[in-house]
Amino acid sequence: MSAAAAASAATTAQLRPLVTERGSAGFFSAAAEGRIEILTCEACGRRIHLPRPRCVYCASTEVSWQPAPHTGTVYSHTVVEHQVHPLFPVPYTVIVVDLDGEQAGVRLIGNLPGRADITAGTRVHCTFEDLGKDAAGNPVVLPVWEIDTDRENTGSGEE
Amino acid sequence: MSTDPTWRRDACAIAGIGTTAFSKDSGVSVTALAVEAAAAALEDAGLTPADVDGVVRNDMDLVSCAALADGLGVPHLTYWGEAGPGGSGPAAMVAQAVAAIMSGQATTVVVFRSLNGRSGRRFGLSPVVTPEVGGDETFEEFFGPYGLLSSGQYFALMAQRYITETGLTSEQLAQIALVTRKRANANPAAQMYERTMTLDDYFDSRMLSSPLRLFDYCLETDGAAAVVVTTAERAKDLRQAPALIRSVAMSTCRHPQPGLMYPTLMREDITALPSRECQDTLYSRAGLGPADVDVAQIYDCYSITALIQLEDYGFCKRGDTGDFLAEGQIDLGGAIPINTSGGHMSEGYIHGMNHVVEGVRQIRGTSTSQVEGAQVSLVTSAPPPAASALILVAA
Repeated sequence: MSAAAAASAATTAQLRPLVTERGSAGFFSAAAEGRIEILTCEACGRRIHLPRPRCVYCASTEVSWQPAPHTGTVYSHTVVEHQVHPLFPVPYTVIVVDLDGEQAGVRLIGNLPGRADITAGTRVHCTFEDLGKDAAGNPVVLPVWEIDTDRENTGSGEE
Repeated sequence: MSTDPTWRRDACAIAGIGTTAFSKDSGVSVTALAVEAAAAALEDAGLTPADVDGVVRNDMDLVSCAALADGLGVPHLTYWGEAGPGGSGPAAMVAQAVAAIMSGQATTVVVFRSLNGRSGRRFGLSPVVTPEVGGDETFEEFFGPYGLLSSGQYFALMAQRYITETGLTSEQLAQIALVTRKRANANPAAQMYERTMTLDDYFDSRMLSSPLRLFDYCLETDGAAAVVVTTAERAKDLRQAPALIRSVAMSTCRHPQPGLMYPTLMREDITALPSRECQDTLYSRAGLGPADVDVAQIYDCYSITALIQLEDYGFCKRGDTGDFLAEGQIDLGGAIPINTSGGHMSEGYIHGMNHVVEGVRQIRGTSTSQVEGAQVSLVTSAPPPAASALILVAA
């Protein structure tokens, strides 16, 4: 992450994730080590996102965290112009990211500063923002997303 | 059309309707509002509190069934129930009253929704107040840290994706706000009764979360609405012509997702709503199809929510909806007049219960924007987490 990007991420993502779910803990533990991981069914191979106690497709209880790509494309976005929370001054842009190569519905959320110039299909990549430690002393690291200026749009979201 | 033989059509009816004034500051408690609306519905039906033996409330209501019964003076309840989630609830709440009556657990059920939606808890503001967000099986730890904090922002993401896939224009989307405002301008009870709106007014309104503007959002309202459900047999001897419950239906969609709202962004298609599944059951039970529906009250927390349901309930094909709106097909005289009281966007936001009340008025012929000769009246209660709907017909 560039210094500028790190600064902008630090000023836009100030709410910390409260990780009390066992399922969510797996995701954020991986993030603390610099990885995106998605819960995966060992029986049918499908990705289960958000995390559930067992496979929602085949009911197998054999599920585990497996790596996912750190790149994706914008599936949808909104520029928030009306402030609803003191920690999020407007304008800012919320994006929904389709992870590359994943089944439909495996998506992560991102925040881009200002009125980001993006459309469906804009390519983005993930970095990690260290938010320090929680009350229990566990590291809290938030995956954040940046527009990928090195790659062309895939056009997957064209009209 | 195939029909569902296990459902009993027209066995129950809505016999009474009641509302409070819709305002920005009721000055009274939500219990007082609920009692006022329920008492009005009983009076409308020609019944007394002693006739009531069941109450159904919304899962997000702050008024308990017992509190309503107490405030109303109901001596003895044999049934109480609750349905939701949230705005997906009202038609399901009526369905629950029907289920209680048909199973012999009650004979006369008050169904209500009450909220101080402007002076009390405001739905449009983020409930998050601590610097940490998530936990308690909300899964909001995946959303809140990125500033995705209000339902309006969620529906904006849905709308933007819909625009990407279909090419819907802002002018087309505006028709929902413009038409429902016209209906409110004819309805003295509507919060927007005296506030006309032009296309310029729409475009001059603030963008709140692109592509949704102020007038794509529902109102914030203090108020309550209630209906009385009883058997069709009993209803025919009461004060008002009954609105027969031809069909009710409830649905989630496959893998409805944990949590309440934001996790549904993980569905394969965020513009696919559970109303699509709900309509199959609804029409099958009714033995009717969309072509038979004369007038519809479509849940409209946001313009885009109503738009997608117009497709899901079979009034237009995906991709054609922009033109359908631009042609005036949701206006009086169009293919399917909608939200004839002004709906959530211009009458008031009673979380879908005012749609049920207006659906009954259309069957009675007493709407301020009456569809001439309306015989089949659709009411929907909406997504994203689930959907329910009902079809009312004249006796």
